[in-house]
Amino acid sequence: MINQGKNDRLWQYVGGVLLIFVLVLIISRMAERSSVNLLFGVLFGFTLQRSRFCFVSCARDPVLFGNTRSVNALLLSLAIMTVAFPIIQNIQLQSIGKIVGQVHPVGIHTAVGALLFGFGMVIAGACASGTLMRVGEGYLMQVIVLIGFLIGVLLGVLNFGWWYDRFIAEAPVIYLPQYFGWIRAVIFQLGVLLVLYFFIKHYSSRKKIKI
Amino acid sequence: MKENQEMGLLKKLYTVVFKNIWPLWVGGVILAALNTVYLLLLGRAWRITTGFTYWSAWVVQAFGGKPQEWSYFVETGRQTEVEQCFFSNDLSLVSFGVILGALLSVLLSGQFKIKKIKTTKQAIAALAGGIIMGYASRIALGCNIGAFFSAVPSLSLSGYVFGLFVVIGAWLGSKFLVKFLL
Amino acid sequence: MAQVKIDCMYEPCPIPLLKAARELSSLELGDVVLIETDHSCAIANITEWAEKEKLDCWIEETRSGDWNIYIKKT
Repeated sequence: MINQGKNDRLWQYVGGVLLIFVLVLIISRMAERSSVNLLFGVLFGFTLQRSRFCFVSCARDPVLFGNTRSVNALLLSLAIMTVAFPIIQNIQLQSIGKIVGQVHPVGIHTAVGALLFGFGMVIAGACASGTLMRVGEGYLMQVIVLIGFLIGVLLGVLNFGWWYDRFIAEAPVIYLPQYFGWIRAVIFQLGVLLVLYFFIKHYSSRKKIKI
Repeated sequence: MKENQEMGLLKKLYTVVFKNIWPLWVGGVILAALNTVYLLLLGRAWRITTGFTYWSAWVVQAFGGKPQEWSYFVETGRQTEVEQCFFSNDLSLVSFGVILGALLSVLLSGQFKIKKIKTTKQAIAALAGGIIMGYASRIALGCNIGAFFSAVPSLSLSGYVFGLFVVIGAWLGSKFLVKFLL
Repeated sequence: MAQVKIDCMYEPCPIPLLKAARELSSLELGDVVLIETDHSCAIANITEWAEKEKLDCWIEETRSGDWNIYIKKT
């Protein structure tokens, strides 16, 4: 670093080590479930920041700049979980009779919600995970985004009934193994991710920034 | 001599883990592993904005509201969760953890800085973007994590639909950004 | 050999790269663009783009959370 002495950063390292101690203390005293939640949150946040993993970058960069590293990392991440999650789902199905994970009704509400979410995340400069990460990094702008999130979520909760009655209540839950069987569903999904990889690679190699 | 070698190795280890940026693919692999173990241990996958609904509800509660009676929490079967508190609720803790984890990361790499807001336009964009995302997350039944990152591996078609439309939305957002906020 | 400085402090992700690309398109061979940014994601973003466009790019960390990114038109 050129403009800053070592001592200026010393307080950060000390602070970091102190934070580790505090976290270890808290986590070791919490109820088991709570300690797992806090620990994993910290690990998620640490990993996100260390690798600058950004979903907005995944959605925006291939289209805007032709950059694909973010989206490739995302595809890899999804591929790994595509193999791992169903194994756990299968085990849990046999032991508790329920499908675990994020399985939701799909319909117009999904499309409209996603469209709005995509728009919002680009103008806010971060998605949900990114916002939390940047609040931790010290970005005041994302603190405002978080406040916006809390307002928006509240509005959504109050307005939920309208969407539920019109779209969500009748929407089907399409759980791939129900239609393809476990193994074919996993292979199908891995295939989709692979096709996406090549499609994005080809498409972005021809991309030039237009200002 | 040996001591110098050990110090050199330690310094190198510190640099690689805490100072240098991790390659994106490494981040992706670790996040996938973390989410998988999380699902295994708790029987639920990572999700964020649902946690925000509790934070909002508790703010309202602090002002005298009774969110546990709202139809939203009753009908989605989340009454128990909204009756918990910041430090006992699963999702509240995870999101709080994410903030702390990121903070830990910048502190240990000596890169912490309070980044102020440059223009009013930015602040308005931030607030508007946040509100839109929050509302949208309720309609889509999740955010980029709950409705996509955890939904696709859960083999739910909703994840695919979310992914497709979030990219379209991002494209529209980029056009808007370049035109009005550049 | 000119050096153009772009101040992108406090500006969110796509802005530094967009400004840099715009500036670079009007520069001559050998000119350098200096981007001052405090956005941690912008570094990853800009270096990947520079590599892809086969431009020389190097970074120095000036203060906690501040970076100077140099891109040379080659």
